[in-house]
Parts: sequence; C-alpha cells; structure tokens
Amino acid sequence: MNLSYRIYYVFFRNLVSYKRFVVPTFIASLFQPLFYLITFGIGMGAYVGLFGGKPYLNFLVPGVLISAVSLSSSYECLFGTFVKMIHEKLYDSLIATPVSAEDAVAGDIAWAVFRGMISGTLMMVVAMFMGVFPVSLPSALLLFVLMAFVGVLFGSLAMIVTSLAPNFDFFNYYTELILTPMLFFSGVFFPLDHFPSWMKTFAKFLPLTPAVAISRAVFSGVYSSGLIFDFLVIFFLEVIAFYVGIKSMKKRLIK
Amino acid sequence: MKAIITAKALSKKYGRLTAVDGISFEIQEGECFGFLGPNGAGKTTTIKMIHCVSPLSSGTLIVNGLPAHIDNRAIKKETGVIPQEITLDIDLTVYENLMVFARFFDIPRREAKKRIADLLKFVELEAKRNSKIDQLSTGMKRRLLIARALINRPKFIIADEPTTGLDPQARHLIWQRLRQLKAQGVTLILTTQYMEEAQQLCDRIVIMHQGKILTEGTPSRLIEDEIGREVAEIRISQDQDEKLIAQLSEMACGHERVGDTLYFYCRDGQNLRRKLIELDLSNTVHRPATLEDVFLKLTGRSLIE
Repeated sequence: MNLSYRIYYVFFRNLVSYKRFVVPTFIASLFQPLFYLITFGIGMGAYVGLFGGKPYLNFLVPGVLISAVSLSSSYECLFGTFVKMIHEKLYDSLIATPVSAEDAVAGDIAWAVFRGMISGTLMMVVAMFMGVFPVSLPSALLLFVLMAFVGVLFGSLAMIVTSLAPNFDFFNYYTELILTPMLFFSGVFFPLDHFPSWMKTFAKFLPLTPAVAISRAVFSGVYSSGLIFDFLVIFFLEVIAFYVGIKSMKKRLIK
Repeated sequence: MKAIITAKALSKKYGRLTAVDGISFEIQEGECFGFLGPNGAGKTTTIKMIHCVSPLSSGTLIVNGLPAHIDNRAIKKETGVIPQEITLDIDLTVYENLMVFARFFDIPRREAKKRIADLLKFVELEAKRNSKIDQLSTGMKRRLLIARALINRPKFIIADEPTTGLDPQARHLIWQRLRQLKAQGVTLILTTQYMEEAQQLCDRIVIMHQGKILTEGTPSRLIEDEIGREVAEIRISQDQDEKLIAQLSEMACGHERVGDTLYFYCRDGQNLRRKLIELDLSNTVHRPATLEDVFLKLTGRSLIE
C-alpha cells in the first residue's frame, strides 16, 4: 500500500469539479430518501401505528438516513469513478504524477465519504423538520462518525465492483441485486425479529445491518452491548473492503 | 554529456504478447531522443516504463540515477508527460486543470498561480483561462497538455505523438515550443510516426519494429547509411524491371520494387539524373532521400494493423 497525504489532492480535485454538480446532486440525494420517508412514513405509518411507543417515522428515519449515506457513497465510487477512469482517463494522468494509484483510489473513496455525509446531513435536516432528532448533541456527533465509517465501507465495496466492471451495465447487478435488496434485509423499514434465525444470522453480517442498528440507537438513546459487536462487524468489513478495493483497482490501472 | 536514461535488455510482456523485446538504449542529458515506429512497435510501452506508469517485465532501466519503478515518486516528480490521448480534466476549466495538477506535485498555491500565468502565455492560451475544455480546439487542447506537462518544471519531457491530428499551423507552433524547451536544457523524449517531426526535432532516433530496435543514430546519418542521398521513383510496369535495372544499377547503390513503382537509391545523383533524362522515362520522380525512406525500408511497406 503506497498511500500518502496526496489523497487530499485527489479529494481537492473532486471538490473543485463539484461546484458544477452541487445542485443536481443535492436534489438527487435529497429526494430519493425523502420519497422513502414520505411514502413509508406516512403511508405505512398509518397502518403500523406506534413502534416501541413512538410513531413509525421515528423507526424509519435512522435506517433511511444511513442507507442514504451508503447509496451516495456507493454511486460515487461506481459511476463517478468509472467515468473518471474510462471516459475521462483521469486516473491515467494522475498516476503519471507523484500521486500513486493507491492515493488516487483512496482519494476517490474519501470523496465518496464526503458525498455520503452530505446526503446523510441533508436527511438529518429533513428529519428534524419532521420532528425526529438524535437524542443529544454527542449522539448527533456519533452519528457523523458512523456516517464516515459507512461511507468508507460502501465506497470501498463499490470500488471492488468498479475494478471488475467492463461497462456501465455491469453496475446493474450490484445496484439491483445487492444494494437495493440489502435495504430490506437490514432492518431499514421493519425489524428483523420475525425472520427465521438463519436469515437473521445472514442479515447480521450484511454491511448495512449493523450500521442501521447503531444509527437507531443514536436516535433512540437506547444503547446495548450488542452494538460493540455491530461496530466490529463494520470495522472489519471496512478494512477488508478498503484493502481489496484499492489492490483490485491498482491491478486494473497499472498494466 | 551524460546519460540520463539507460535501458539494458528492457522487456515488457502482456500475457503472451511481447510488446518490448530486450531493447537497450541511452538517452543523453539535454538531447531530443525520438522513438519511431509503426503502430504496435512498442514505442508507447517503452516510454510508459520510463515515466514509471508501467512495470518492467525484465531488464534494467535507470532514470536520473534511479531504477524506474511504478512507485518511484522521485522520478515522476521530475517528469513532464504529454500524452498521446487528450486526458484533460473535462469537469474543470483551463486554469483549474493546471491548478489541480500543480497540487499533485506539491506546488504551493501561490507559486502555482505564478507558473500558470507564465505557462498560459507560453502556449498562447491566456484568453482561454476560464474556458471549459470542450470549448477548446484540438490544437488548444494539445497546447494545454504541454502547459500541464511543464507545471512541475520537469527535467525531462515525454511526448507521445504530440501533434497527432493537428493542422500545420498548430503543429508548427508545438514544434517551436518543444525546441524552445530543449534550448532551455530540458531532455526531450518523443515518439512519433511523422518522419518530418522526427527530422525537425530529434538529435538522435531509434526505429522500433515489433518490440525491437532496428537501428539508431542521427536522422541524417541514418538516411545516409540506409538509403543514400537521393531517390528516383519510376512508375513503370514490372516487365521492364530487368532492362531498367541493367541500365541504371551501376549508378545506384540499391533498388526496390514496390507495387507500381521501382525505386533507385543512390549517393550521387548526378549520373543517375543524366541517365534518366537520356532514357526519357515519363513517370519519374527524382528527390532527396528522407527519413521516411529509411522507415519504410526497415519496417516494411505492408500495412500494419
């Protein structure tokens, strides 16, 4: 791993280019989760009544928020990186400078984290308008840390997919067969209590499930020791995905 | 003069394909060194190894006293690359392209601003400072690539077919700039398929074919050694060859039949010219020998795809 502080320069490049995309990306990353909140929160909420003594919306917000982070980070390292690599040949220019291939890929992951956190923050603002808040200021800060971890995890996972993608269509397998179904297996919309035990075990190791669990604790203020296990799952998946993602991209970039 | 780049038995394999096949060469500090060759000869692969974006399969390659290696940031810091493809950042303006690139080389912002102003002047793009890349012509894009390659004040510049697809005005402007850089002491490493470009710019060239170096020398030396000084092209049907060769061979140092044309190569054109007038052949071109003759003679005349 030939990583250096030059990751920041790659991040900086993305930031400079971002000012042209700010409005469309704000709108996209705001509205998709907002639709989930409105349709599920209001439509479903009317049927399911109270969840643990609180409206369904309070159950929904932490999950939708964290999945918004995961989707934004994923898309950035799927489509964003693919365009930069194949169509714009940006990586070819980058690796001819003192920026290494590892720096370049990690810089894009760092950027994906930033994009994920913007999405998450927008969601938090919307949730506040709907009357759902993290229990305290420290727990809100904890939520930002969680968003960063989720961003690295999903950005890195997406990098692995991008490193193998022959074309754009390839991403459909990942988004349609993995990312979207994962929302339903990870306790975003409903608790997993009624899953058979093998499904519960399977769900526990999906990258989104532990993140949703921690997010929910941050909003409810109810912490349990199981959350340490959840955090460790995220952390280990993240270390592995980051390492494999960078190695795999480097293999594609350097021939 | 000392060698700034030394390659010994340098090879590059992609799976079973050998792109560069055990070549050795030396590039001196301050010269312009050209790699010539048809498509797929291994030119681009060779220079990619020099500027450390492609690992070697075998052999040694020393650049500026250091072994070339994919993670050798010290070499990359001293190198300016003008790529074959236009790899400008289309999400950014002209100025932003240069600023972002300057940061990649750790150039502080204030210093970068100064350099960018100078470079935009140098490549005559001051008026396009805030334009987006898609508003530039191909010639402007190529000039911006040159400016970008110079942002780190490189010791050597690698130019991979820098004038491909340009009109004559744009091409001459780029040649001017490259010569100017050479005059400032920068070592230039060039690949090209344009023989005129090689003659205009290069002190020494190698001609590559199928991963190997066929010959090496100054352009004029190579022409002299391989072809002679002058060439007579006679478009005549093949059944006349025997008669003509008998009549002309003592004045020429070589001949070759290609398609509809019989070529005679010679060192001293006087006698040949007189004889041609005497024979009164209609379809005859008599001209000085060029690097293109050398190139075609060595790499063959059939299409390479």
